[in-house]
Amino acid sequence: MMALRKYTWIGLTAARSNLAYLSEVAARTVFLAVILYIFLRLWQVTYGDTGATQLGGLTLPQMLWYLVMTETLTLSAPRVAPEIDQDVRTGALAVQLIRPLSYPLARLWSTLGERLVRFGLNLVVGAAIALLLVGPIAFSAGGLLLFLLALPCAFTLDFLGQFLIGMGAFWLEDTSGLLLIYSRITMILGGMLIPLELFPQAVQPWLRALPFSSIIYGPARMFVHPDAAFLRDLIVRQGLAIVVLSGAVALVYRAGIRRIHANGG
Amino acid sequence: MLKQLTNYLGLVAAYTRLNLNAQLEYRGAFISQVVAMFLNDGVWLVFWTLFFTRFPVLRGWTINDVITLWAMTASGFGLAHAIYGNVLPLAGLVAQGQLDVWMLYPRALLPHILLGRMSASAWGDALFGYAVYLVFVRPDLQHFGLFVVLTLSAALLFVGFGVLTGSLSFFLGNASSLADQWRFAMVTFSTYPAVLFDGAIKLLLYTLVPAGFVSYLPVQALRELSPWYALLALAGALGVTAMGVLVFYLGLRRYESGNLMEMRG
Amino acid sequence: MANSNPIAVQLENLSKTFELRSGWGRNRIRRAVIAVDGISLTIPAGQSVAFIGPNGAGKSTTIKMLTGILHPSAGQAQVLGYTPWRERRELVRYIGAVFGQRSQLWYHLPPRDTFELLARIYSLDRGSYVRRRDTLIERFGLGEFLHTPVRKLSLGQRMRAEVAASLLHAPRVLFLDEPTIGLDVIARQELRDLILEWNREEGVTVFLTSHDAGDIERVARRVIVINHGRVVLDDKVSALRRQYLGSKILSVKFHAPPAPIVLPGVTTLKASEYALKLEVDTRATPIEQVMAEVLRAGAVADIAIEDPPLEEVIAHIYAGGSAPEVAAGDHKHA
Repeated sequence: MMALRKYTWIGLTAARSNLAYLSEVAARTVFLAVILYIFLRLWQVTYGDTGATQLGGLTLPQMLWYLVMTETLTLSAPRVAPEIDQDVRTGALAVQLIRPLSYPLARLWSTLGERLVRFGLNLVVGAAIALLLVGPIAFSAGGLLLFLLALPCAFTLDFLGQFLIGMGAFWLEDTSGLLLIYSRITMILGGMLIPLELFPQAVQPWLRALPFSSIIYGPARMFVHPDAAFLRDLIVRQGLAIVVLSGAVALVYRAGIRRIHANGG
Repeated sequence: MLKQLTNYLGLVAAYTRLNLNAQLEYRGAFISQVVAMFLNDGVWLVFWTLFFTRFPVLRGWTINDVITLWAMTASGFGLAHAIYGNVLPLAGLVAQGQLDVWMLYPRALLPHILLGRMSASAWGDALFGYAVYLVFVRPDLQHFGLFVVLTLSAALLFVGFGVLTGSLSFFLGNASSLADQWRFAMVTFSTYPAVLFDGAIKLLLYTLVPAGFVSYLPVQALRELSPWYALLALAGALGVTAMGVLVFYLGLRRYESGNLMEMRG
Repeated sequence: MANSNPIAVQLENLSKTFELRSGWGRNRIRRAVIAVDGISLTIPAGQSVAFIGPNGAGKSTTIKMLTGILHPSAGQAQVLGYTPWRERRELVRYIGAVFGQRSQLWYHLPPRDTFELLARIYSLDRGSYVRRRDTLIERFGLGEFLHTPVRKLSLGQRMRAEVAASLLHAPRVLFLDEPTIGLDVIARQELRDLILEWNREEGVTVFLTSHDAGDIERVARRVIVINHGRVVLDDKVSALRRQYLGSKILSVKFHAPPAPIVLPGVTTLKASEYALKLEVDTRATPIEQVMAEVLRAGAVADIAIEDPPLEEVIAHIYAGGSAPEVAAGDHKHA
């Protein structure tokens, strides 16, 4: 109980300190407005040319809201890996070891706090633009609840991926390249620009099995198309991925700590 | 006239060599920036490939046309900022009174100051553009020659537009963020087929956000091997540049009068 | 024309008024601020001039007008026969500038690369550039670090390369803004000697601003003090030295309590059991004589001779031309 309160407090502090992020919202508005308008046109033309009312199971307004959500998810990702990389290199991680805290857990909670704020702000901007462009789609309280359930695991998964990359600093001269590759792969294979249903049939099962789609595609799909069965599937996938990645994080983290103990940080 | 031109080209070559040498002092960082940009552009290539696999034609445009468009924008943008890298921070340079030192050289101010820096990632864009055009479009010699000429026109357009937006600082104080966003809109629109837009937005693409001079006219020129479209693209680039130069020198008068915000001392 | 003019710099009633705006909408206030208020000066070719004054006195505004960066609100100026703000691009071929805070050397590249680029920028012809460069390399002692990236040079080496770079196109007037800032004593002295040498041998007109009394004493022959945009003093440095820089501050520490020191022109500023701080008017008693007396007074542990801080000297000039506070004890000048 005490432990939970401790980590919650860490998360809240991180959330508060990121309210300064508000100043970036204006710039974000231009960014999202331009991107979303262009995508609206792209899909309007595509729906029009093909004469379809649904593509990949989504109507045109749903498609735009799907993109609002994938952009929001992508833009709200805190850059955890570089911070962890720095902690390793500067020895701040070694200093953390003497505190009565688990470093990975403290990081996880502060990341979740930061992400919550960023996610909220970006969503407000993105939703406003989408309302202006295509109006609302059918939202229900139950559907939103299902969507919210898909978020925590998605955020955690992304955190674990970034944490692993940051830990790379123990062995690699530079981890920014890894992070870049990770983020681009997440964009493509996670379905940021185009929903998984529109990928070639043959690759779709593979993409669903990979964790990237559980970070972006899954929650975004839940947002425009709430579905209890889909959610159950998604959470099982997310859960499995979290178990596997947590195991990897534990291994790598322990190996890193051994290096600190051996080399003195 | 010719002598002046060769003299200036000599200066351009000297600056480019020096800028490149300075970048190569940190070879690893330089290469990773170039590779990062290459990868970044690659994401879009994948997106468009996926898109056209599912929907082979977009208002008469095929995947080849869109790849040509991407190649054009990337190499034009890359060329512009690999050589005239000081276009990007121009708004800040003006606002911070950093034109002073450049005014102490016996050279025309604007074409000189723009040479002062090189954007490393711009090399990634330039390489990506030419490589993608050669590898995916497989042009004959004639097309490739026209492509190269048109990328020069696109580069001129980006430089002229950057000067125009950067010069806002002469009139508005530090306009860095406004210039960045305006430039972002320009670059983003130049990476999507202009055929997506009609009406007011289409008008916008040849005026306030002159992306049409890179995203439509050059591609059309290459599709039809049409000198007419090529000339229109070039005329647009020249027009935007003339506008930028005019605004810059009008602004410079304010700068020289010293009534530009915080430039006393 | 630039090479034969006997007058390097001429200002006539040069003035600059800035308009400051603050607030928005109805609260918007416009206020005129006079930065330079009718300065008139003539500097003959080949002279070295120190241009000093407190921050905000109008120094840099004046220099910006002389180099053509700023246009004046009123008055005239000619530099080497050119009107700077009208003929800037012609003029800047014949002037050089060194700003202590703002380097023109490429930080990540060796000085040699910057020299090559400057030859391009000034369109110097190859033969005379190479001769000029080699002379500068030899005289400024740049040989040993010519191929080392600037970021790896000491500040002293960097400033030497900086000044050499600004002399590459053989300017007739050299503007130096705080050239010795941050340098140690030896590097400072070296740089002063080089500037002086160039001034004497090549006849380059030197226009120097500095907060360092040593720079002014050793490099300049004439000193112009400005405050509130006006010239408050324009005199030979030797006169300034006689009137204001004639005193030295002597700090001595002894191993045992010293005997009292009584000499004409020597005032005790501070005294404790083992230490003395004396102010010496060197016109009344030469510094050597005071030193001898100090050594007789007791076993000396440590001794230091300093100039009175320039700020104090200048503060007194502003106050109305009397001698500095520290020197005001027992003598008054006419």
